[in-house]
Amino acid sequence: MVLEATMICIDNSEWMRNGDYSPTRFQAQTDAVNLICGAKTQSNPENTVGVMTMAGKGVRVLVTPTSDLGKILACMHGLEVGGECNLAAGIQVAQLALKHRQNKKQQQRIIVFVGSPVKYDKKVLEMIGRKLKKNSVALDIVNFGEEDEGKTEKLEALLAAVNNNDSSHIVHVPTGPNALSDVLISTPIFTGDGEGGSGFAAAAAAAAAGGVSGFDFGVDPNLDPELALALRVSMEEERARQEAAAKKAAEEAAKQEKGGEQQSTSQDATMTENVSAAAPEAENKTSDLMDDENALLQQALAMSMDGPAASLAVRDTDMSEAAADDQDLALALQLSVQDSTKDQGSETDMSKLLADQSFVSSILASLPGVDPNDPSVKDLLASMQSQPEASSDQKKDEDKAPNEEEKK
Amino acid sequence: MSAESASAILKNQVDLLDFVDWSGVECLNQSTSHSLANALKQGYREDEGLNLESDADEQLLIYLPFTQVIKLHSIVIKGTEDEGPKTVKLFTNREHMGFSNVNDFPPSDTAELSPDNLKGSPVVLKYVKFQNVRSLTIFVEDNQSGSDVTKIQKIVLYGTTVETTDMKGLKKIEDH
Repeated sequence: MVLEATMICIDNSEWMRNGDYSPTRFQAQTDAVNLICGAKTQSNPENTVGVMTMAGKGVRVLVTPTSDLGKILACMHGLEVGGECNLAAGIQVAQLALKHRQNKKQQQRIIVFVGSPVKYDKKVLEMIGRKLKKNSVALDIVNFGEEDEGKTEKLEALLAAVNNNDSSHIVHVPTGPNALSDVLISTPIFTGDGEGGSGFAAAAAAAAAGGVSGFDFGVDPNLDPELALALRVSMEEERARQEAAAKKAAEEAAKQEKGGEQQSTSQDATMTENVSAAAPEAENKTSDLMDDENALLQQALAMSMDGPAASLAVRDTDMSEAAADDQDLALALQLSVQDSTKDQGSETDMSKLLADQSFVSSILASLPGVDPNDPSVKDLLASMQSQPEASSDQKKDEDKAPNEEEKK
Repeated sequence: MSAESASAILKNQVDLLDFVDWSGVECLNQSTSHSLANALKQGYREDEGLNLESDADEQLLIYLPFTQVIKLHSIVIKGTEDEGPKTVKLFTNREHMGFSNVNDFPPSDTAELSPDNLKGSPVVLKYVKFQNVRSLTIFVEDNQSGSDVTKIQKIVLYGTTVETTDMKGLKKIEDH
C-alpha cells in the first residue's frame, strides 16, 4: 500500500509492429499497461499513474499522473505505432513529470517498456540512473521485443545505477505463448515489492489461469472481507449440519418411529402458539434427553462452540424427520427454519431443565464469551424460569449465541 | 565573529531539535544504511561512528520542517576532516526542493565550513534572514576533499521560537 506516483513510458516505435507477441508487440504492451494501471490504483486509492510515449512524434506525455483510471485507459486508445524510441529523453521527461506531481508525499516510480534496441551508451544510461537515484525515483524496466547485442547488459547497468535498496526491478520477457501481461503479473512490478497489490494480482492471476485462485472461496479476503467471512461461516454451518444429520439419523431413527405421531400433533399445537418455534425440536429433544441427556447436551454444546448456527442445524434435522408425517406441518416447519436464526421459541419442557439454576450456570460458565455474572444473563435466567414465552421477546434482544446454548 | 561572542549569544538559544516535525523530514541522496537520523537524532548524533552519508554523489539535500515558527541563529555541522561538507547553502520556507532547482533562487545564507567548524564550532548565520522560519532546507554542495561521498556526523540547530520565548533565557544576555 505504498503511496506512489507512477509514470509509464510506452515504446510505440516501428519495432512494435512485430507479431512475435500476440497479437502485436504494441497490443501486448497496451494490455500490460492497462493491467498495471489497474493494479496501482487498486493497491492504494491515492496512487496516481501517468502515461507517456517515447517514440511516435516524439517524447510526449499523454496524461499526467492521475488516479482516474478512465482517463488513463481513454488516452491509451488510438495510439499509433511509428518513429524511433528515445529512451534517455523519455526517462528524463518522466522524471520531470513526476517532479511536478501534485501530492509531494508520493514516492516516485517510472515503469519503462523497452522493446526496441537501445542506441545509447552504457555510460549515458548509468548517468541517468544515478540522477534518478539521487532524486529517489525508482525505476522498473520491462525488457521485451528486440534482442539487441548489449541491450540486456545496458539495461542491467541502468538498473544497477538506479537501484536503491531493491526498489527498482528489471523483467525480461521472452517471446512465447504467454502474453506479456501474464508474465508481468507475477513479477514485483505488479506486486509492488511484494507487499501490497497482491489482492489484485492474485485475482488477475486467477482469471488468467482460469482456475481456482489461492483463496478458499474464490473471494479474496483483502478485497471483500465481509463476503469471505460470510462464505466461511456458511461453509462451517453446512458442515456442522451435515455432521449433525448423520449423527441424529443414526440415533433417532428408532425413537422417531415411536413418538412420531404423538409429537407431530403436539408440535402442531405449539406451532400455532409461536411461529418461530423451536418447540418441535424442543419436544424431540426433551424426550431424547430424558434418555440420554448428558451425552446429547455435550454434543450439542460442542457443536455450538464451532458455530453459532450449529444449533440451527440440529433443529433442522429434527424437524425434517418429524415432518415426514405431515405435509402441512412440513411447510410450517420450513417457514420456521427460515425464521429460526432469530429463534427464541418457547421451551415449555425445556424450562424444566433450565429451572435448575445451578445446572444452567455451570453450562454458562463453561461457555466462551458468556459471563454468568453478567446482569443481562441473570435477568434472562430469572425470566425464563417464570415465563417461558414472554421471555422469548426479551431474548431476541439479547445476544444470540448464549441463548442458543442455553436452550440445550 | 569571535568564538567568545558566538558562545555568549548561544546562551539564550535553544537546540531546535525539539521543534523539528519528524513526519515531514526528508533527505535526498542519502545512503540507506547511513541515514539522516544518524546526524540529527539525540543519541545517534553523539555517536561518532554513526554518520549521514551521501549515496550517488557528494551532494545532499536535507529538508527540515518545524512544528512552529522559529528564528535560526546558528548551526553546528560536525564531520570528518576530509569527507565533511564544505559549501552549505541554507534555504528557508521552500518546500520540496530538488537538486535541479537549488540554483534557481539565492540561498538565505551560505556557509563555507572550515575544519574548525567541522569539529563542532558553530557557524553563526545572518540572523535577520532567519526570523520567520517554518522549514529549513540544507543543501550540501560539496565536501572538503572532493570525494564522492560526503559524511556528516552531527547537525545541531540553535535558535529560538517565535511564539514561546523563554523569559528566563532572555535575562542571560550580557554582552551583545
